[in-house]
Amino acid sequence: MRGKRNLIVLFVALLAGLIAPLATGASSAGFWVEVLLGGLMAGVLYSLVALGFVLIFKASGVFNFAQGAMVLFAALSVARMAEKMPLWAAMLLAVVIMVALAFVIERLVLRPLVNQDPVVLLMATLGVTYFLDGFGQTVWGSDIYEIELGIAKEPVMILGNLFDGGILINKDDVAATAAAALLVILLALFFQKTKTGRALRAVADDHLAAQSIGIPLNSIWVIVWSLAGVVALVAGVIWGAKLGVQFSISQVALKALPVVILGGFTSIPGAIIGGLIIGVGEKMAEVFLGPVMVKAFDLAGGGIENWFAYVLALLFLLVLPEGLFGEKHIDRV
Amino acid sequence: MQDRTTAQRLTFHDAMETFEVDFSDLTFTDTAEVDTFYDEVDRQLAASGRRWYFLVVYPGCVIAPEAWERFAERGKNSNINSSLGTVRVGAAAQTRDAIREHAGRAFFRANIFDTREQAIAALGEMRKRQRAADAGTKAAAADAFLRIENVSLSFGGVKAITGVSFEIKRGEITSIIGPNGAGKSSMLNVINGVYHPQQGTVTFMGAKRHDMNTHAAAERGIARTFQNIALFKGMSVLDNIMTGRNLRMKSGLLAQAFRLPSAEREELQQREAVERIIDFLEIQAHRKTPVGRLPYGLQKRVDLARALAMEPKLLLLDEPMAGMNVEEKQDMCRFILDVNDQFGTTILLIEHDMGVVMDISQFVVVLDHGMKIAEGTPDEVRSDPVVIRAYLGVGH
Amino acid sequence: MLYRENGQFKTSYRADQQMLPILQDRIFMGLLLLFVFVGAPFIFSDYFFLSILIPFLVLSLAALGLNLLVGYCGQISIGHAAFMSVGAYAAYNLVLRVPQLNFLVALILAGLIAAVVGLLFGIPSLRIRGLYLAVATLAAQFFMDWAFARVKWFTNYASSGSVSTATIDIFGWQVNSPVRKYLFLAAVVTVFAILAKNLVRSHMGRAWMAMRDMDVAAEVIGIRPVYAKLTAFGVSSFYVGVAGALWGFVHLGSWEPLAFNITLSLNLLFMIIIGGMGSILGSFFGAFFIVALPILLNRAPEWLGIAMSTAMVSHLESMIFGSLIVFFLIVEPQGLARLWSIGKEKLRLWPFPH
Repeated sequence: MRGKRNLIVLFVALLAGLIAPLATGASSAGFWVEVLLGGLMAGVLYSLVALGFVLIFKASGVFNFAQGAMVLFAALSVARMAEKMPLWAAMLLAVVIMVALAFVIERLVLRPLVNQDPVVLLMATLGVTYFLDGFGQTVWGSDIYEIELGIAKEPVMILGNLFDGGILINKDDVAATAAAALLVILLALFFQKTKTGRALRAVADDHLAAQSIGIPLNSIWVIVWSLAGVVALVAGVIWGAKLGVQFSISQVALKALPVVILGGFTSIPGAIIGGLIIGVGEKMAEVFLGPVMVKAFDLAGGGIENWFAYVLALLFLLVLPEGLFGEKHIDRV
Repeated sequence: MQDRTTAQRLTFHDAMETFEVDFSDLTFTDTAEVDTFYDEVDRQLAASGRRWYFLVVYPGCVIAPEAWERFAERGKNSNINSSLGTVRVGAAAQTRDAIREHAGRAFFRANIFDTREQAIAALGEMRKRQRAADAGTKAAAADAFLRIENVSLSFGGVKAITGVSFEIKRGEITSIIGPNGAGKSSMLNVINGVYHPQQGTVTFMGAKRHDMNTHAAAERGIARTFQNIALFKGMSVLDNIMTGRNLRMKSGLLAQAFRLPSAEREELQQREAVERIIDFLEIQAHRKTPVGRLPYGLQKRVDLARALAMEPKLLLLDEPMAGMNVEEKQDMCRFILDVNDQFGTTILLIEHDMGVVMDISQFVVVLDHGMKIAEGTPDEVRSDPVVIRAYLGVGH
Repeated sequence: MLYRENGQFKTSYRADQQMLPILQDRIFMGLLLLFVFVGAPFIFSDYFFLSILIPFLVLSLAALGLNLLVGYCGQISIGHAAFMSVGAYAAYNLVLRVPQLNFLVALILAGLIAAVVGLLFGIPSLRIRGLYLAVATLAAQFFMDWAFARVKWFTNYASSGSVSTATIDIFGWQVNSPVRKYLFLAAVVTVFAILAKNLVRSHMGRAWMAMRDMDVAAEVIGIRPVYAKLTAFGVSSFYVGVAGALWGFVHLGSWEPLAFNITLSLNLLFMIIIGGMGSILGSFFGAFFIVALPILLNRAPEWLGIAMSTAMVSHLESMIFGSLIVFFLIVEPQGLARLWSIGKEKLRLWPFPH
């Protein structure tokens, strides 16, 4: 099919772009790997945000674009509460807050809009994001707060003997990736192996059928939203620890969109892969493509990563308008 | 200098449908003489009130150079208005040249003959050819208005239609009936280009297509209503029907923005056409109501109105009476019959109510599981055991 | 009693098709225009013009443009401020590099350039719909942000990346005072609003609305989706480009690239959600609301006698915005414009209850 062929062309082009710096010798192998790893780590964060989103959609069919704002809120709560109590207590309390928040959002905002166009939901949850922005800062204050995870922030040199000069990576990035990987594995196991997990998947497929075999929908919502809340919390803590807790609507709320477009709205592996692709793409583009463009067009500085994710999503959409893992729509007329 | 009067040189041969103009041994020295002659020709042609084949006899005709142009021009004018075909006999070189310049070379060469007998024979051939062509057009018109040939349609693994063929005649009302899921709506969708069949052709008014494009279908005069009333919920009844006129509205963006007189005029013209339809379907009271607020039955009428606004040659109605009560059905039947009667629109409808089908259709096609299981007049279909078993049930 | 149509029978389609068929509406509009052009310059203070009316007028124009695309044609765009920036920078460069050009001509040209760019970014809408299209429009937003910040030619190689504009001169009439700015904008916006209203009630507008409501049925009727969508993008971007140029030249005077960022895009979207999607009047309501609310919130504490820090005020603003968006989407998706028409309905019956 033409779409598939164009997709392959796109992939090949991207791969070529990826390898170009290495192939042309514009950068040393070590540096290239460093950037790659950095991109992967950044991608992990995106994946985590997208993951919460996909979870909710997969299990309840609801588009919760406020996920990003919830991540931030979670991080903010943890950061502030950790000033008064041990970290683990703060995180536990934060889970409770997140679940409550999720419940409120679902009841007040998402349920009334349940059959509307996803665009309407997008706008509604943008409203929620704005609200949480103001609310979070009202409750917790507007400075940039830190989350101390107890992991050293200095970069570490590894694989010094393989690559010339070794590769610099951050310990907290490694911790983040490990945490994310663990989360994904746990989630995958949960959905595949446990009774509740299977029930969630049944509900996602067909609410009415699920109800008719006795799956209690209300408790399902609670479970799903708690899960999403936990994921948001993990993402928030990791993000907060790395970058400091600060609200940036374009980063947090909107970046999830290109990720789920690449990865599909219902696929957990898709969210992961999407996030990684975006993360790597952005970093690579910024570090390698940036200077090339600056020289070629006489630009005043870089900043490609601001738009790269979206343009990449756009290119994918032009090739596959339903998304990489998306489901085809057949309009019944 | 004439030995015969002009009138004597003009003869109507009724049996041969031929008007003979005899220029032999005539001399035209100036335009005035040409005019005098041709005035008489034109007068007689007008008085006859018919169109004729022309037989023009030239031997010995002399035309002075000053008169050539006028001669050729007048001749051409008479010909154009009244000629079913022209043959000429023996024109002198000069005359030939003058006429050749004005009548067009190939044409002129094709119909000069040396003797009168040859000319008359050629005339006979010409008339025979013309008659065959006329018969052909008539035959084409009586030919199937819409022909479906071996159409198959599937979605993914699901076969919606398998190898269906049928024909409907112009000006008739045809119904497609069958149990749910038989592929009836899909068939309509194939006809107007919403779905593209994997196999088979659709021939509409002589044009065969493997795959119809929705816009092309609309342009060629196919309109439809929808099972789920695909009305534009955000607009009023009037606006919904006006969208049906969209194909005919040609004014440009700027003309519309500045509401230039041409745009205003076009809007008014289309409004008039739409109002006639509103009158026809008796929905005047609801013109300005947003469509979403109307009861179901009226919405269906607006759907029909919108389709009618396209002035279609073929109207596809998808369950136009679904969900209506008895009075509404009677109204809708009346409208459908009126549309067929007054506008001559060919109608193809999907309907479950057997009473309606029997009453208003002239031809019925029965589908089941995507295949055609029967077709014929309502009475034939009603008593077909295959149909009874598949759909009607015993006791109809 | 006042607002009855009694006795106003239309005897021709032409009369029925007027922009304002009800006499009272015409009177009201006439009085409004009189007030806008003749009364207001004498009544309001410079501060009111500068901080409320001028931004209100420009943003109404932008909201109008966005409404044509989103409200009437149903194509989502959450990066529309990008086209404002195209208009602004185009106008800047035209005025800079072709000084003989009359400002009005430069303005129209800037709009046309924005229209072309809008058309380009509208092409994805032919294949992509809904949510996915929203993301594509974000690509436009962020890309333009970057382009105008980085490609030095646009800012005439300014080291700071900012540009500043000179006073607008139209055939010798200098637009140099708040009142003059206001009058100039009022004139432009009035004309553009009339043009938009005409478009919307002609066959182009109906084609757009058909695409919005049910595009499959629209195609079956013979409407060309490609033409409808692209014209929507083009016309919308034209309006928004002109608005961007006016924003830069009349309201801001000088600006840096981030003046047209995602926040502005989202504000435009919120304007039409709150004001009313698919309504010309609604664009004005929404714009006024978005402009007035922050100022109101700034003043409210002192009027109410409560002490509030500016940070707190901005948080409150976010919260109120956010809640209002959600409120309007759930309760009244047709926004303030619908409330206005409900009010008119009630006025029609007044003083009778029903």
